[in-house]
Amino acid sequence: MPFLNHGSYRIRYELDGPARAPAYVFVNGLTQYSELWGAYREALLTRGFRVATFDLLGQGVSDKPTLFISQDDQVAALRRLIEALGEGPVFLSGISFGGLIALRYAIEHGQRLSGLVPMSCFAELTPQLLLLGNALRTGLILGGTGYLQDLLLPMNLSDQWLKPLLDKLDSVKRQGWLVNDVYALQNLMESFLDFQPLTPHLSAISAPTMILNGEFDFLTPRHLHETLRVEIPNSSLVIIPKAYHAFTLEKGALTADLLARFADDVLGGRWQGNQAVWIAPEEPGGELTPFPDGYDHLRAIPVKRALA
Amino acid sequence: MSGFLGPLELDGRVPPGQQTRIAAFLISAHGALARQFAFTLPVRLDAAWQTELNAQFYRETEIVSLLMRATSWTPDFALGYMVAPWETAWLPAPIDGIPDPRLAQAVHLATLAHAVHAGIRPAALLPIEANVQDPFVSALRRIEFESSRLLQSQILFLKGTDLAPHRDAVSAALEQRHAAVRKLWREVLGSIGIDAAGSE
Repeated sequence: MPFLNHGSYRIRYELDGPARAPAYVFVNGLTQYSELWGAYREALLTRGFRVATFDLLGQGVSDKPTLFISQDDQVAALRRLIEALGEGPVFLSGISFGGLIALRYAIEHGQRLSGLVPMSCFAELTPQLLLLGNALRTGLILGGTGYLQDLLLPMNLSDQWLKPLLDKLDSVKRQGWLVNDVYALQNLMESFLDFQPLTPHLSAISAPTMILNGEFDFLTPRHLHETLRVEIPNSSLVIIPKAYHAFTLEKGALTADLLARFADDVLGGRWQGNQAVWIAPEEPGGELTPFPDGYDHLRAIPVKRALA
Repeated sequence: MSGFLGPLELDGRVPPGQQTRIAAFLISAHGALARQFAFTLPVRLDAAWQTELNAQFYRETEIVSLLMRATSWTPDFALGYMVAPWETAWLPAPIDGIPDPRLAQAVHLATLAHAVHAGIRPAALLPIEANVQDPFVSALRRIEFESSRLLQSQILFLKGTDLAPHRDAVSAALEQRHAAVRKLWREVLGSIGIDAAGSE
């Protein structure tokens, strides 16, 4: 199990694929760990990519600072990992908390990226997100990691995914419960206590950017992704049909396919962000369709977009 | 070498030898915390925050009491020499950068309690097959759950404004405490055939 050093801390990572191939780097969500990208590793290796995953500070097998974890340190650790990849093209993707870290990296070191894919992501703590975050933190404090998982599972995954697992949810939760420690998760959550909105800095991201948002994302709804689409110049917003916040778990094959196609388009010179809004296919390999012209993609009912 | 307790007995119970070694270590650590909270607890409370000291003292005592009653004890002569370094490790150590002895003592107690409550996860040692009706299994789960609650007052104090001027010193002391406690825990687990990498 390889490790990178960041100061006195060790960052656990995994890297597979040919050295000169374009690389995808994945950044975990809050309660995740590196192994959860396993399906992406397989799918993208098959399509000729190099794949790097890692545990953030405070997660999984990486070191867990005891009292404070700064998001600056997370970005610095990510920078170490990307430096270790060498000179080839790098596509960076992160989900939720990891998407935020990826955004911060892209703002500070965007010239190193060939492409960026924020998923279920946000640049600001809106009142809803702030209060939800506070409630989740209180849940963690009062009920431990298991209770936090109990809150997140129904919030972030569909009935279709949950139904066959209802009688074995304990085994679904077990690995996440084993590798995550309450104090470390709490430190990760409390790294938002001095959070400053990234919105004013998003326009500095010059890399081609594909923003992925689940149709039914409750935790980070559409308008949070809209901020990214509007502010990041070379971006497109892609809505994943019938998907929730944790669509990377639920729709791995589709998401991996979208990631591979995005990178192929960028490397082939075909990518045009145009701040467009697309609807992803429901199955891998299907066509993306433009969001219907004239309709408001921020609404859940078909409402004509107000003319600017 | 497994990361979990076992092989379990036929009825899903943890072998008494493992129970004895684990319980002895936890009693040593939580017993030390109980004693130190008892010495810190005033007879009459003068400030609201001292109510937490009272709670911590009784919770630590409860953990010791629970382990004494829930464990299937078996003679373990190795404990004779194992206990001494444990008890030594819980003693107050000077904290660089905090000259005020009263504040340093408070930081010592909070860092020790943080390291024990956060760094030791006894329930994570239980394999899926462990018998949920076994009092020792139930005790380990309860101790881990209570530890995450007890931990909150240590987090509040160590991250609080009173210690903000000493943030680096506090962080360094806490990292050292965690490393020391985890080393002991790893040794205990190693002594009963458990690979501690996944249980810290």
